[in-house]
Amino acid sequence: MRNITEGIILKSFPLGEADLIVTIYTLDYGLVRVFAKSPRKTKSRFGSSLEPFSYNKITFLGNEDNNLPRLIQADIIYPFQSLRDNLKCYIKSTEILEVTLNLQPERLIVKELFYILLDTLKKLDSECNTNRWNLFYKIKLLKYSGLAPELSGCVICNCAGRTFYIHEGAVICEDCFIKGDYPRKISLSQGAINLYITILKWNWDNLHRIKPSDILNSELNNMIDRHIEYRSERNLKTKWFNFKVQQVMGSSVTTP
Amino acid sequence: MSEGIIGRLIDALTSLPGIGRKTAQRLAFFILTMPKDQAEAIASAIIDVKNKACFCSVCFNITSSETCEICSNQSRDQSKICVVEEPSNIMVIERARVFDGLYHVLLGSLSPIDGITPDRLKIEELRQRVAKGNITEVILATNPNTKGEMTAQYVADVLKPFNIAVSRIAYGLPMGGDIEFADEVTMSRSLQGRKSIV
Repeated sequence: MRNITEGIILKSFPLGEADLIVTIYTLDYGLVRVFAKSPRKTKSRFGSSLEPFSYNKITFLGNEDNNLPRLIQADIIYPFQSLRDNLKCYIKSTEILEVTLNLQPERLIVKELFYILLDTLKKLDSECNTNRWNLFYKIKLLKYSGLAPELSGCVICNCAGRTFYIHEGAVICEDCFIKGDYPRKISLSQGAINLYITILKWNWDNLHRIKPSDILNSELNNMIDRHIEYRSERNLKTKWFNFKVQQVMGSSVTTP
Repeated sequence: MSEGIIGRLIDALTSLPGIGRKTAQRLAFFILTMPKDQAEAIASAIIDVKNKACFCSVCFNITSSETCEICSNQSRDQSKICVVEEPSNIMVIERARVFDGLYHVLLGSLSPIDGITPDRLKIEELRQRVAKGNITEVILATNPNTKGEMTAQYVADVLKPFNIAVSRIAYGLPMGGDIEFADEVTMSRSLQGRKSIV
């Protein structure tokens, strides 16, 4: 069966001499992994269309139950080349791809998330110096993955609380939580909680109006990252990569 | 799993990249009809490469001694280093016969999504080579893909304090190719990197 859709390249993995297994987030099929024959050869018809971030019109062969369909065509709609021209932008944008790979199961169709991913890449393409779009995207991704943290109040009694327990994925007040030593807890400011609730509730198209301060952005981003790491049971490699680059270069490549 | 000595050979050959069961069978029967000394030469070459191959202590090319043939060849230009991702890339550049300098193999490329951080590559060793002096130019010949580009950019940043010429291999269309089939990124890069011919 021939499937034609639009997709964003998330990751590729070399297979054999010149082949690739490419993970694509598609509009009509969700996250799919496809086999591409010989794209690593210099004269390949795929050209640069299978590089990360490329937004393509793709055609692949295979039924729904086919584990590894074959990619037969990929035409670039927009290459997002500027995200690949600069190391800072590249690391920041790769984080978006990594969290999508970690949280989205294969073949789960979420069209809204596809458009949000596409728009996030467009925003990073035009304003790579700001950090807010990564945070906005991660919160929306958690929402569409059904893993959004509950911060609006104690998840048991609904009273006010500002301590987020990572393994519970929610805020729990001191009265409701069984006493003990829980290292995986984060105390949040009321500003961070309010910012989170606003981002979660607001429509994506209106989020450009929110411009959080760096401190608030960093506080909430740190909590969201730890939540994602716990839920996906994987460390965020881009975060570690950024840390290592900072160590060598002596200055921050991506701001927190 | 196949049984018998031929079956074992077929199984062993199928473990090579690009060799399927049918090709392995054809090769196995070809080896069977080969003169004994030829077959022994193949076998001993494989054993030698596994026993003796190691990385050159200077450039990390594959060699059987402390330093590789290229690094120990004093007639080569000692002031230029070409940086590549894998030892196999050196063979391709050497085949072109246009570069007579030295090499440095990074043994991979940076990839945040795969957790390949700078300390896992031979970047620090390159920095130390350049710091010793007498290097005037470093040519970055990493792959023209995203990982290769980012690696080149990172290496260029690391070498910036040394005030030497750092260049990147040209981008563009492959020889023998057709413009009609070029994608947007390749085409734009080849136009940006155009060269005057008058």
